[in-house]
Amino acid sequence: MSQINAYRRKFMATLGGVAVGGLASSVILRTVQAGDVPAKPADQPVSNQVRWGMLIDVNRLTDGGASMVEACKREHGWGNDPKARPEQQAQWMRTVKVTDKLTKYSFTLPVMCQHCEEPPCVDVCPTGASMKRADGIVQVNKHICIGCRYCMMACPYKARSFVHESLTDQRPHSPRGIGTVESCNLCVHRVDQGQLPACVEAAPNAVIFGDLNDPNSRISQAMKALGGSQIRADLSLNTGVRYLGL
Amino acid sequence: MPLLSHIKSLLGLVLLATLLVGCDAGVPEPNLAPAKAKAAQCVEPTADMRKNHMVYLDVHRDKTVIEGIRTNKHSLNECINCHVVPTREDGSAVHYTDEKKDHFCASCHTYVGVKLDCFQCHADRPQIVENINYQHKLSSNTYHLSAQSVQPDMNDLLWLSQSQTQGATQ
Ligand code: HEC
Ligand code: HEC
Ligand code: HEC
Repeated sequence: MSQINAYRRKFMATLGGVAVGGLASSVILRTVQAGDVPAKPADQPVSNQVRWGMLIDVNRLTDGGASMVEACKREHGWGNDPKARPEQQAQWMRTVKVTDKLTKYSFTLPVMCQHCEEPPCVDVCPTGASMKRADGIVQVNKHICIGCRYCMMACPYKARSFVHESLTDQRPHSPRGIGTVESCNLCVHRVDQGQLPACVEAAPNAVIFGDLNDPNSRISQAMKALGGSQIRADLSLNTGVRYLGL
Repeated sequence: MPLLSHIKSLLGLVLLATLLVGCDAGVPEPNLAPAKAKAAQCVEPTADMRKNHMVYLDVHRDKTVIEGIRTNKHSLNECINCHVVPTREDGSAVHYTDEKKDHFCASCHTYVGVKLDCFQCHADRPQIVENINYQHKLSSNTYHLSAQSVQPDMNDLLWLSQSQTQGATQ
């Protein structure tokens, strides 16, 4: 518990940013738009012309992101592993409550893999299983993951989990199994087909998903107008997941 | 002397041959019924598939995971969708590790002595109930799904509780 508190304190300390979002963003943050994720032909590889990213307006998340977490659980089938103790359950995404010690102002935000441009989890992986796709999505190639869990320790966001037990009847589009590490993969299977990640669909009024490399994409426009802070910006990881209203 | 040994080895050969023939008759047929109900042929010529399916799968998995190529032809999910029915006639679930060995892939691998880890992660049968429009109760009412907001489907809830009890009895 104290560890978690320490984490939150550090987390708070680095947030610090300005309170934009909420008010000004209403113009840009409307509803999910199909054009955010252009469909890629199935037989074409992903390219580094694109960098996928996500902008989350914390003030517009009336439930602090709980529905996003539920959508993720449902999409990937984690969180219900029959033998795991609660603290062992996989956690691709969680809500974190932050409270300012002085003012007692508090808010909740969803935290998952931040899809760093310079991912520490990729640096430490001995097999190359922890990888960044050309389009900036950071994920585990479970076919070569040996379950050493270095990446879990390297990740400053505590975004990765380990599967401890044999599973059956996984989601066909999201294989997960004993002895490997897993985390948010920005719903690669959906993005590759021109669909939005499940969590974005669950909070269309608060989250924009799109191409950070395209200056005309909705997400780039929104970030240009409103900013988009990183968690632990001090680490210079240049995250693909950005927040408004921290 | 050499003649005798020749005769002996010849006899041995004949014996072996009959034995082999006997064995051959006992080779179990892979369970092709589900696939044949859906299609006339496999994604590659049958003889080629028998020999090289693992190569196609290995190549395709790297293409998918690393490069994001998502063609259906050599996709493991598609093999399962075509070759496996989710349940038997008595309603029991078909799994790769079942004693009955009637899962298509197991029906051959058991005989040839191949061990797979693929189904530790990959679903070994098509998913029966999926209602992607269903969102968990916890969701706040202010959020809408891009498709339509649909009431939780009872079947969907059932599916979840089923998978729980299955795990508990492992
Ligand atoms: C530790 C878990 C794990 C194991 C074991 C595993 N896979 Fe995968 N596999 C995955 C994940 C995760 C993906 C990525 C799914 C995605 O991105 O949509 C994947 C994707 C694939 C794909 C591309 C998607 C598809 O359905 O065609 C193929 C092919 C594949 N795996 C084949 C295999 C084969 C063959 C084996 C056994 C030799 C195997 N995998 C074992 C986790 C696993
Ligand atoms: C559209 C349905 C379909 C798909 C998809 C499919 N198959 Fe088949 N497969 C068949 C049919 C039908 C046959 C029987 C063909 C015949 O009788 O000549 C078959 C035969 C086979 C055989 C030979 C069995 C024997 O007779 O010894 C193997 C092995 C096989 N499939 C593996 C696979 C694998 C691996 C995949 C995925 C990459 C796959 N199949 C995808 C329909 C399919
Ligand atoms: C007709 C028999 C037959 C059927 C049906 C069959 N296989 Fe195989 N499979 C084999 C044989 C034989 C080998 C071993 C080849 C070798 O070791 O060179 C093998 C090996 C494999 C391997 C490589 C294993 C390893 O350790 O590298 C994979 C992966 C595989 N099969 C997947 C499948 C899947 C998935 C299915 C069902 C869709 C399937 N096979 C159905 C005969 C079959």
